Amino acid sequence: MQLNFAAREVAIKLVYYGPALSGKTTNLKALHELVQENSRGRLMTLETKDDRTLFFDMLPLVFKADGDGGGMSLRVKVFTVPGQVVHASTRRLVLQGADGIVFVADSQLAETENNAESFLELRANLKELGRSLAQVPMVIQFNKRDLPRVRTDGELDDLARRGREPVYKACAMNGQGVLECFFGLLDRSWKHLDAEHDLSTKLGLGPAAFLDLAAASLGHPGKAKALSAACVGGGVP
Amino acid sequence: MSAEQSPVSAFDVVGDVAVRIEDVVDREALDEMCRSIHSLFGIGVRVYASDGAMLANVGSQLDVCGLVNEIAQGRAACGATVSAAKSVDPGAAGDVVHQCFTGLAYRIVSLDYETRHVGRIVLGPFAPAGLREAPPSLVKTVPKLDVLQANERLAQVARVKPEALGRIARHLKTTLELIIFSSHKAYVTSKLHLYSVRESYRALEEKTARLEQALARLKELDRLKSNFLGTVSHELRTPLTSIIGYSEMLAEGIAGPLSGEQAEFVKTIHGKGEQLLALIMGLLDLSKLDSGTMSLRQAPMQIGPTLDEVISTVAPVALKKQVELVLDCDRAPCELAADAERLRQVFVNLVDNAVKFTPKGGKVTVRARITDAAAEGEDDAGAVLLAPVRRVVEVTVADTGIGIPTAERTKVFDAFYQVDSSSTREYGGTGLGLSIVKRIVEAHGGAVTICGNEPCGTVFVVTLPSARARRTLPSRVPPAERA
Repeated sequence: MQLNFAAREVAIKLVYYGPALSGKTTNLKALHELVQENSRGRLMTLETKDDRTLFFDMLPLVFKADGDGGGMSLRVKVFTVPGQVVHASTRRLVLQGADGIVFVADSQLAETENNAESFLELRANLKELGRSLAQVPMVIQFNKRDLPRVRTDGELDDLARRGREPVYKACAMNGQGVLECFFGLLDRSWKHLDAEHDLSTKLGLGPAAFLDLAAASLGHPGKAKALSAACVGGGVP
Repeated sequence: MSAEQSPVSAFDVVGDVAVRIEDVVDREALDEMCRSIHSLFGIGVRVYASDGAMLANVGSQLDVCGLVNEIAQGRAACGATVSAAKSVDPGAAGDVVHQCFTGLAYRIVSLDYETRHVGRIVLGPFAPAGLREAPPSLVKTVPKLDVLQANERLAQVARVKPEALGRIARHLKTTLELIIFSSHKAYVTSKLHLYSVRESYRALEEKTARLEQALARLKELDRLKSNFLGTVSHELRTPLTSIIGYSEMLAEGIAGPLSGEQAEFVKTIHGKGEQLLALIMGLLDLSKLDSGTMSLRQAPMQIGPTLDEVISTVAPVALKKQVELVLDCDRAPCELAADAERLRQVFVNLVDNAVKFTPKGGKVTVRARITDAAAEGEDDAGAVLLAPVRRVVEVTVADTGIGIPTAERTKVFDAFYQVDSSSTREYGGTGLGLSIVKRIVEAHGGAVTICGNEPCGTVFVVTLPSARARRTLPSRVPPAERA
């Protein structure tokens, strides 16, 4: 998080991590489509000819808030990492300073190992950066729910309840579950930052108010809580 | 080299850092674009960065402005208007009209990137569509001005409709913002590319440091192993010499006559002692070859006499086993620089092995040829020049025995390796012979390979470079720097 009192700006960074071809860029593109135009910047994608992410994708979302101390701008920068194995060092770079992570897993059974490998790499990369998963809020998205030969809902629910992180089911290709997952992470990340930096006092903006404001600015007023709660596990019964 | 370096920081591209137009847009190109707008619409264009620095300024002075600027008060007021235009708040819509006291106006449009204000475009001065004559503010600000003349000049300025100007302004804003976006994207790409390379390099350096440490440790262990082997072999040999010596004396009856059974036992002790000694000598050789302490007495020699000697050494064994032993040697002279005793050891080992693994009635053929070495590398460049100095002696030892499966052919040269551990029991041997053969041959700059014999059996191929080849082509000489 970057807090610039002089410019009255708060910038937080969310990163979509996951194995190659799990749909990180698709998530970002869907998110871009699903949010109101005046709250988003241009989607920056650095892709190669074959639509593989070369360095990262980045979508800036900005909205204004009126806290106790006056107006301020809240900036959320959403990044994806390149999934291909060869871009390991780039993933580590993009991960720097992340305030929250969406791990985009591929639901297909055949991808189980790739998911696990990518997750272990994420853990190692965080360690290299001097951080750990205990310090960075994370949600897990199981993408491509519409494909055949995927882990069933029942299995996922069962697994999710055993894990620490909330699990969102998605089909990013047609936008399903994308907002839910995004708000789920935004919610958790802000709460985490609030607990660490006491943003409620500093900015006069509590976590619930922040999430409501974000949802309203992005064109989904009143839906924040429901969206964020549309998950399994993560302490949600 | 420090093994632990922190990752490269890429904060300026993966953090939230405000983009500055001046960092991402080329000034001259910007100026060129503004000039084209000016030539198209006849309106002056200025572009300012967010801190007020002027990045482009294109426009010609209007006659009316010239008139105002001739008077000191007018000049001051004009300066104030222009500087206000670069700081006036463009408002929430990011688009305002800033009035000049002359009745002319400026259109100010905010430039935004990632919803941050990064600069502004100032269009003007222009005459608004409804302007008929100089407003009272002109006379008030510059009382000395000739109003009639001013009105005359104002009338010459083309009127611009607000919608038309709005379109121009929006077009310019969109174009510039797109340029900023594209330039920033290119900037981020190149920066991140650089960081990625640096980060990969850092990671590789760390890995290299770890590998170097591991290598140093392994080298040390290897050295210790060789030392241990050397010492142990030497220490074992000393008492063994006594065992062999005394059993020999017993067998010869020096200490009194032995009964038939006693003589048999002593003979066994002596035989096994000799066997053990051979094993220990092999280990000693191996450790010397490994540690590079074996000195080869390399002298000019021909392969023929050495092979004759080898055949005569192994012939009794072959005869006993009813294996045919044939020597087919090319007697053309080809000088080797080699240790004859060591080469004899090599070929005795190979031929003895071949006989050992060949069943009764089989055949072992030792063939020596003088040939040109295969070209080094893939191409045959300079073969005409190199062939004469690339002469090698190729000795093949072919048997009709059980053969060695392809997959095992490189492993048999490892110390203590035998294709099938049951073969140790069936055929005897320690598994040391071939590893010693390989090391000695390599110490002579040669190579030993295995191929199959048709329909069954094995062919060992030993190539030894001629003395001349070793002199002229030092690359063929083995690395003798095993420390």
